[in-house]
Amino acid sequence: MPGRLSLTARLTAFYTLVSAAVLVGMGVLVSLATERHFVELDHGYLKDKIGLVQKIVRESPSQVELSGRLDELLNSHHGLFVDLRQGDRLVYGQEAASFPKGLPTADSGANPVDWSVGPQTLRGLSAQAEAPALPDVASQATMQLRIAVDTAHHAHFLQALRQTLMLYLLGAILVSGLLGWWAARRGLAPLRVMKERAMTVTAQKLDQRMPVQAVPAEFADLAQSLNNMLERLQSDFARLQEFSSDLAHELRTPINNLLTQTQVSLAQKRDANAYQDILASNAEEFQRLARMVSDMLFLAKTEHGIELPNPEAISLDQETQALFEFYDAVADEKRIRLSLTGQAVVIGDRLMLRRAIGNLLSNALRHSPTDAEVAVMIEQQGANTTLSLTNQGVTISPEVLPRLFDRFFRVDKSRSHPDSDGAGLGLSITQAIMAAHGGAVTASSSNGITTFCLVFPGSVAG
Amino acid sequence: MKILIVEDEPKAGDYLRQGLREAGYSVELVTNGVDGLHHALEGDHDLVILDVMLPGMDGWQVLQNLRAQGRQMPVLFLTARDQVEDRVKGLELGADDYLVKPFSFAELLARVRTILRRGRSGMESTTLQVADLELDLLRRRVSRSGKRIDLTAKEFGLLELLMRRQGEVLPRSLIASQVWDMNFDSDTNVIEVAMRRLRAKVDDPFEPRLIQTVRGMGYVLEAPEGAR
Repeated sequence: MPGRLSLTARLTAFYTLVSAAVLVGMGVLVSLATERHFVELDHGYLKDKIGLVQKIVRESPSQVELSGRLDELLNSHHGLFVDLRQGDRLVYGQEAASFPKGLPTADSGANPVDWSVGPQTLRGLSAQAEAPALPDVASQATMQLRIAVDTAHHAHFLQALRQTLMLYLLGAILVSGLLGWWAARRGLAPLRVMKERAMTVTAQKLDQRMPVQAVPAEFADLAQSLNNMLERLQSDFARLQEFSSDLAHELRTPINNLLTQTQVSLAQKRDANAYQDILASNAEEFQRLARMVSDMLFLAKTEHGIELPNPEAISLDQETQALFEFYDAVADEKRIRLSLTGQAVVIGDRLMLRRAIGNLLSNALRHSPTDAEVAVMIEQQGANTTLSLTNQGVTISPEVLPRLFDRFFRVDKSRSHPDSDGAGLGLSITQAIMAAHGGAVTASSSNGITTFCLVFPGSVAG
Repeated sequence: MKILIVEDEPKAGDYLRQGLREAGYSVELVTNGVDGLHHALEGDHDLVILDVMLPGMDGWQVLQNLRAQGRQMPVLFLTARDQVEDRVKGLELGADDYLVKPFSFAELLARVRTILRRGRSGMESTTLQVADLELDLLRRRVSRSGKRIDLTAKEFGLLELLMRRQGEVLPRSLIASQVWDMNFDSDTNVIEVAMRRLRAKVDDPFEPRLIQTVRGMGYVLEAPEGAR
């Protein structure tokens, strides 16, 4: 993946950078501290030597004696330079040192100053020296003393120290980078396990799950969420599979009928009436197929887009009354009484709600015995509005109840309801419509009384 | 009455043309949007039946162009996709009606007749008559051969629809929508039962039978040949 670093690489780089910064900082601190230590050391050394020179100057009775003793001093202290002047006259000094002007004095407490002479770096201080014993300086007994030490041996030591530090730093950064990489890889190992597990998941193998117990706490939530997702996918997928095989089956029967009937009719010549009959019967079958297809599309659409096409305030009692009028003839044929109690207004799509209630009503009429009653009751239950529809008939067993809303589900598998050409999609459609309204449909059945209940969340007064 | 059909599916186009011709219309069929627009602009059609998915130029564009050039003839859409947006779009662009495939031919014919009738309003009579069957719209009364027939409100509405559109085969879905305002397919035989009960009052005691079932299509009310 160009432009995108792996998590391991990022963690490694981050870890390496942090440890490099820490180590480099330490190295710089160490070398600075060492250098300062040397400066202090030199400071003391120089002050010490200033005292010594001052003592020599004070005690020397003659110029020759002074030079002799100073030579002796310098010989025994390698790398030490002295410059002694009286006014502008050089009393004692080494050309090699070429002292700068304005060196800090020893008693000022300031640090000595560094300067370079050729390849050497010198560090020096100045002071005054009294020479009361010198005979020829009686008029001006005070001399200017400048003293310096060659810092070459410090420089060598520091350079060696820095090299060692540098080597150590490089090694340490490398090692910490490796450690970081190893830690990141180890830390992310559960992700790889999950990835490998995920790679084995296919449509046929949706039963794979993430190892929740085997991963660290941070990943456990993720793994659990993924598992929940897989769970949902698996059940949805199973439903989809069942549904498409049902669909194929449902389509096969009418298509088979049509094909057989048409081919048998074509097998020999018939009179016009016979052809008309066959075509009419085919047309009926085609209408059934077209209905099934549009019902399926309606279901797919309703289950997909949750947005209601035309939300408005719907009076449930008025809609039910309109549906009663529609089904009046059918109910009357079976001498079924339709009754309605209660009233409520909900927000919904009129066409969809009519369809939802209409499906329940036609279902109830179909399964009611003659001389029975189908009752619709509209109630407020807490915040919810419910419309329940009760009919008498055969008790539906509790195992079957939840399956009523499955597509193509029929209580009697024989598919032989003389007065119904429905495909077994009615209750699924009702359920989908209620879901689109944020509500639900439930079913209960006992003692020969079956009740379907539409639950609408909330209510609208009026 | 001239109808232009713009439909790219050859079988569907042929059958629509045949069906509408046999229903007494003069029909022209073209198979792509560009020809469709051209013919609609050149000709003087009373109705355009327009498929949405067309090669060259889709139905929306054809309609837009037609309306942009000031042609106000009614347009009926045929669409394979029943999306609310499609419906809204079609109606916004100025379509008069739409049908979702698959549709029954009886339904299409009924819609075509409704649209074509719209233009010719006026001379609204207060009584309808077919053979010896009379329906008085003002007094809400029905009589046949001079005998009064008692109908419920919905039966009256059903008979009124059949009589207003006598000779037309009315599909069940159209009847449910017009009489009961139920715009969904019920999976019960509501219309059959209602029709049976209406016949029991209007047809059974009399000769000849005026309400016919056309299998696979719907119902039609008309006086049989020679009985007028």
